[in-house]
Amino acid sequence: MFGVEQHRDAAGNLSQPDFQQVFLPHLDAAYNLARWLLRNDQDAEDAVQEAYLRAYKAFARFRGGDGKAWFMTILRNVCYTMIKKLRSHETPEPFDEEIHHTVGESEMQEAFRQRANAESLHAALEKLPDEFREVIVLHDLEGLAYKEIAAVVGIPIGTVMSRLARARGRLRAEIVASNAKESLP
Amino acid sequence: MNHDEAAKLLGPYRDGELDLAACLKLEEHLAGCPSCQQKLAGEQELVDLVQSETPRFKASPFLKTRIQAALRAETVSGAIPWWKHLSLGSTLSGLAGVAALFVILAFGFFSTQAIPELDQDAIANHVRSLQVNHLMDVASTDQHTVKPWFAGKLDYSPQVIDLASSGYPLIGGRLDVLDHRNVAAIIYQRRKHYINLFIWPSDTDSLPGRLFSQNGYHALGWTKSGMNYLAVSELGEKELRDFVQMIQDQTANSRPE
Repeated sequence: MFGVEQHRDAAGNLSQPDFQQVFLPHLDAAYNLARWLLRNDQDAEDAVQEAYLRAYKAFARFRGGDGKAWFMTILRNVCYTMIKKLRSHETPEPFDEEIHHTVGESEMQEAFRQRANAESLHAALEKLPDEFREVIVLHDLEGLAYKEIAAVVGIPIGTVMSRLARARGRLRAEIVASNAKESLP
Repeated sequence: MNHDEAAKLLGPYRDGELDLAACLKLEEHLAGCPSCQQKLAGEQELVDLVQSETPRFKASPFLKTRIQAALRAETVSGAIPWWKHLSLGSTLSGLAGVAALFVILAFGFFSTQAIPELDQDAIANHVRSLQVNHLMDVASTDQHTVKPWFAGKLDYSPQVIDLASSGYPLIGGRLDVLDHRNVAAIIYQRRKHYINLFIWPSDTDSLPGRLFSQNGYHALGWTKSGMNYLAVSELGEKELRDFVQMIQDQTANSRPE
């Protein structure tokens, strides 16, 4: 077998090189999610390192299957624990319903087309609530299927579907709205 | 399917997450509904923008070193008590092994026994190719550079297809070992992910065309016109299937070599 079962030591531990061979290839995916959730390099690095240590300790409980989803679940838990500590004092910026519901579908698409660029997208994505941002990162950037996201986030597939739809709707609205605000006198 | 139901399914439809029946019903509605068509186009536009313009943050090499050091420190300090050895895990995997062997013997599919091994070997090759900076022997996005490179190195000539126009650009080729022989590995890129497509002549066995998954990697093999194809990647299952479909379509259009 490929690494995992074969190279455990007498205590049932996965040997170092094999643990690394299985999980280090997910380092970039893990870092990307952590960086988008925690929004700065240092916290993201700490979270990823903590997740690797936890995964290593918990490996005896890993029952095979999708190792990437398993590892990303651990990482996500670490991130949310950090978020609670870091942002307990912050209040989320309210979502401006006024702006977001005054335009129709085709005007919205036109406005979106005019204003969509790397900069407005980045700002809009950072503004999304964590639960929305994470599904966009996991699906659209990391290419996880709904089923895999359901496992990582711990929600039913139906909820993945509706959450991703709302996340995209709101992302689009944010892109249109942030620029609309700037263009006001 | 009414309009409201259809509108809810446009996202999953774009993402390839609908089953065939739902797809057909939705397409039937789409054909006569300009509003849904516009919405679907908008959805596609948004996802395209996200995929092309969002930075995918990359871990620094320093972080990797730091993690490796922390893991080493963990092994030295974290001695595990002897009774862990008797954990349910090893018992279960032992039972699973016996059960799997029983199934294989009971059905007499001796040849299928080799298949998961092949998938695992291919995944191991894929991981290794990403790890040791040995992804490519020949780096080129031109199929007319990659294909001749194999001449003289293999006793067959793999068909090299470029899928750049479909978002899976060819980036190079490599000589690898699989199934106890030298094989061609053609490398494709999808965003920051890589796909190794192994190609070699099928002498006796055919690959079953089903997906094998392990630790976040997927392998999908099939046999066509006397050649075995095995695609491996850490990409999501859906994107890998899309890729395989395109390769299959293209090999169908040209003569086997």
